[in-house]
Amino acid sequence: MLRSSVWLLRASVVSAYLFLASLPFIYALRRLAFVTGHTPFEALMRFDEVYGGAEALTYTLLEASVSAMLTVLLGLPIAWCLGRYEWKNARGLRALFSVPFVMPAIVAAMGFLLLTNSESALFQIGIDLRTETGVIGELARLTGWDHPGHFIALVFAHAWFNLSLMIRFVEPTLARLNPAWEEQLTLLGQGKTRFGRLRHLWWPVLGPAVLCAASLSFLFSFTSFALVKWLSPFNNTLESLMATYGGSAGIEGYRVDTSEIVMSASMIQFLILLFALYMTSSMQQRHSTRFSLVSEGNARSLRGRPPPGAKIIVYAGVVFAMAPLLTALIASFKVRKGNFGSGFSYDWSLEGWSAAWSGDLATMGIGDALANSLLYALCTLCVALPTGWFLASTIHALEKEKRFKTAKALDVLTLLPLAVSAVMVGLGVLLGVLRLMPELFQWGYLPVVPHVILTTPFVVRVMLPAIRSVETKWIEQAQVLNLNRYQTWYHGHFSFVRGPAVVASSLTLAFSLGEFGASWLLVRAGSWDTLSVVVDQLMSRPKFDPLVQPAAMAAATVLMAITFLLFLVAERFRHEGEGGGF
Amino acid sequence: MKAAFVMVLIVLFGAPLAGCIEQTDSTEECVVLPAGHADDGVLRILTYDITALSDALTDEFTNNTGIEVEMIKVDDAGGILDQMMLTKEAQQADLMIGLDNTYLPTAIANCLLQAYDASAENISSSASSFYDGPLALPFDQGDVCLNYDEDALSEANMSVPTSLEQLTGEEWKGKVAFPSPVTSSPGRAFLVASVEYFDQQGNADAMAWWTDMVDNDAIITTGWTEAYETHYTGGYGEYTEGYIGDAWMTVSYCHSPGVEAYYAENYTHSTSLVLDHASFHQIEYAGIINGAAQIDGANQFMEFLLSNEVNVNMPENNLMYSVLEGTDLPETNGYRYHADVPSAVTTMTYEEIEENMDNWLDAWKTATEQA
Repeated sequence: MLRSSVWLLRASVVSAYLFLASLPFIYALRRLAFVTGHTPFEALMRFDEVYGGAEALTYTLLEASVSAMLTVLLGLPIAWCLGRYEWKNARGLRALFSVPFVMPAIVAAMGFLLLTNSESALFQIGIDLRTETGVIGELARLTGWDHPGHFIALVFAHAWFNLSLMIRFVEPTLARLNPAWEEQLTLLGQGKTRFGRLRHLWWPVLGPAVLCAASLSFLFSFTSFALVKWLSPFNNTLESLMATYGGSAGIEGYRVDTSEIVMSASMIQFLILLFALYMTSSMQQRHSTRFSLVSEGNARSLRGRPPPGAKIIVYAGVVFAMAPLLTALIASFKVRKGNFGSGFSYDWSLEGWSAAWSGDLATMGIGDALANSLLYALCTLCVALPTGWFLASTIHALEKEKRFKTAKALDVLTLLPLAVSAVMVGLGVLLGVLRLMPELFQWGYLPVVPHVILTTPFVVRVMLPAIRSVETKWIEQAQVLNLNRYQTWYHGHFSFVRGPAVVASSLTLAFSLGEFGASWLLVRAGSWDTLSVVVDQLMSRPKFDPLVQPAAMAAATVLMAITFLLFLVAERFRHEGEGGGF
Repeated sequence: MKAAFVMVLIVLFGAPLAGCIEQTDSTEECVVLPAGHADDGVLRILTYDITALSDALTDEFTNNTGIEVEMIKVDDAGGILDQMMLTKEAQQADLMIGLDNTYLPTAIANCLLQAYDASAENISSSASSFYDGPLALPFDQGDVCLNYDEDALSEANMSVPTSLEQLTGEEWKGKVAFPSPVTSSPGRAFLVASVEYFDQQGNADAMAWWTDMVDNDAIITTGWTEAYETHYTGGYGEYTEGYIGDAWMTVSYCHSPGVEAYYAENYTHSTSLVLDHASFHQIEYAGIINGAAQIDGANQFMEFLLSNEVNVNMPENNLMYSVLEGTDLPETNGYRYHADVPSAVTTMTYEEIEENMDNWLDAWKTATEQA
């Protein structure tokens, strides 16, 4: 009886979530189908006729593939070094590497623009990625490649963004791997050479994790919008194409061409991302396969302190991860001085911070905006964490019941919101709310809805491996101790997933704090502006006033600091060796 | 893989069935719709980032009338129209501020506005010439035209173009940035100007010129901001992060050089290219949304916006001309001195724009895609 009630509850939660997650997409799709008169299949077939579609698809596939490869190239050595040696402050290092992943894209874009402007170190050594003079200009001229500098900046920004994926997936496996395996393999014929060890040990052990991180990097680079808009202004990705034309999509009898663009592009994107998500899910399942693992501490202490080479790699990685953010911090204190037309100098001052705090240059000060952001983030957490946890535990329960196909289907379905364009979610929420309950528009917490839709998949991804790793015998052992039902659950289950739950919470809060698209696509009423919206407002203002730029950077710095703190907290709760995907 | 495959099938073939139940009537007569949202005493204004609508201004209105104001902001004028179209069945705002004369005919044709009851006096003929009906009131105006960087031309020893055709020449290759008319309001305005400019030439085809411009590596951007801030060398973009500075000419307002000077202590190296019929007189409107709840508040705000105390300050607060008779730009910091006034702007009528805008946009897309 209890068992069937539990399954009934599981079915209800799963249905409610899938309904909430898929409804905006279905609403948007059916409206677009109505406006254009095309079925989704027809829209897909007509993609090559869409204005700018073919170019956007080519560019998207190219930048996403190169970004994913670059993420592996840059992230793998860092994860390797971080995972194999005993670092003094591994938690702090992990937190530092995690910060880029949850940075609002607009902050990241500003950081990279600062790193590539005419006063940057890169520019001084002749690498001009922005205005494409010097070596980069020569590269463009010789190869006929339009705007290589922008492309390079974009893929590095994507790799920076996704660096933590590689570290979070690969590093824990390495850290916990029994060193005896490597020693034993070295003694065998197959492991005598480096290639042999790579083929027979490292690839089987790390391959799924690397591919999983790479496919997620591909996915996030594929759906990138703000970074493309700022760093690669001459090119569109499918997402930026949809964002550009999405405003007038879905309106009957008006600008039907934009509906065609959004519908065709979203269908292509959906199919490609669904495939990428399927790969991610499969790889993550293989990644969760248990190897002979030992305690992280033991494995690390057996290998000892990092050699100089490892230190160089990890600290270079830290510099790469922190450079755009530190540049933004420094820029918050730099105020332009001088006369127009006769050159400028810069003074160091707190005026930018003061302007950001007072809110004179935006709809509100950073204090109020932060309060709004935190409120949204907490509300998002209250819904997304239990929902994601419950979904993950349902997937695991299905696996335990040997209903693997259903488990797999649900696993992929929970990732569905990541395959749907933010433009489609925005349009779908707008249409759905209009149809079902228009008064919701006056409800200040409406942006929480898309935040929940977009963050729940991450909770599932963090909690699922953790729940899978909880062994039944631990609950059985707790039962032997004559504890009541809740104590048994607490000691036999919860205490083993508490760490990942904190990680999932931090991730949810950070994503919600930095989330820009969904709050931006819905209704933008001044009194509900969040910190990321205030950053955007400031960045969009004409820069005659020398305080605009430092004020924007001050607001971005607050966002960065909060995010970093959240990850530092998460790291303190993360059990040793818990990767959990993030 | 089966799960993903089934999902794909559902989306490809299942979703359109859901679309069949969507019904709207596109041949409706304009009637005043019931309020799309509850009247909670708050006046909701749908607008874009209009600097004139500052907190100080809305606070003053609230102090005078006791009516709370909430802004619902979208990207630009086009965004206002899109939002009103999308939320037609349950409008969420009471007053729109910011639709310009390239969008107004579409809004009116789609019954998105209802008659106002605000009294507005002393509106100049230049502001009321395009539309003086009961559905919208002009609140600011300005001429959209090409701006160029005087210093860049001087350094390159180039002469100022005397026709749009000259911009297709080799010396202008990759040096002109246009905001796309599909996604930008000034871009639309300049498209209309280009159509009239070539109409005035007799048989010349504006779309052929656009094709030639794209062949000449003209930079097409999503919005005015990207064209002016990121690409144009003559404006304040050089103080902006992400500035590329590869265009010596772009689309802006004829008085933009005056705005540059006003903010930059009477310094500017930007000026406007005032060719006959190559400028579009843009007028921005305020109007009560059909389906508004706070109609009284909306009328009061329109009167407030058109009042002498508020509207006369449009040049400083909104960087546009006032619509009131007898007003001009201020002399401060060379604002008026550097602002050019075209001798012959476009004469496109309300009806011509209403009838042709979609065709022009389609033709422009074809012309620029063919290049």
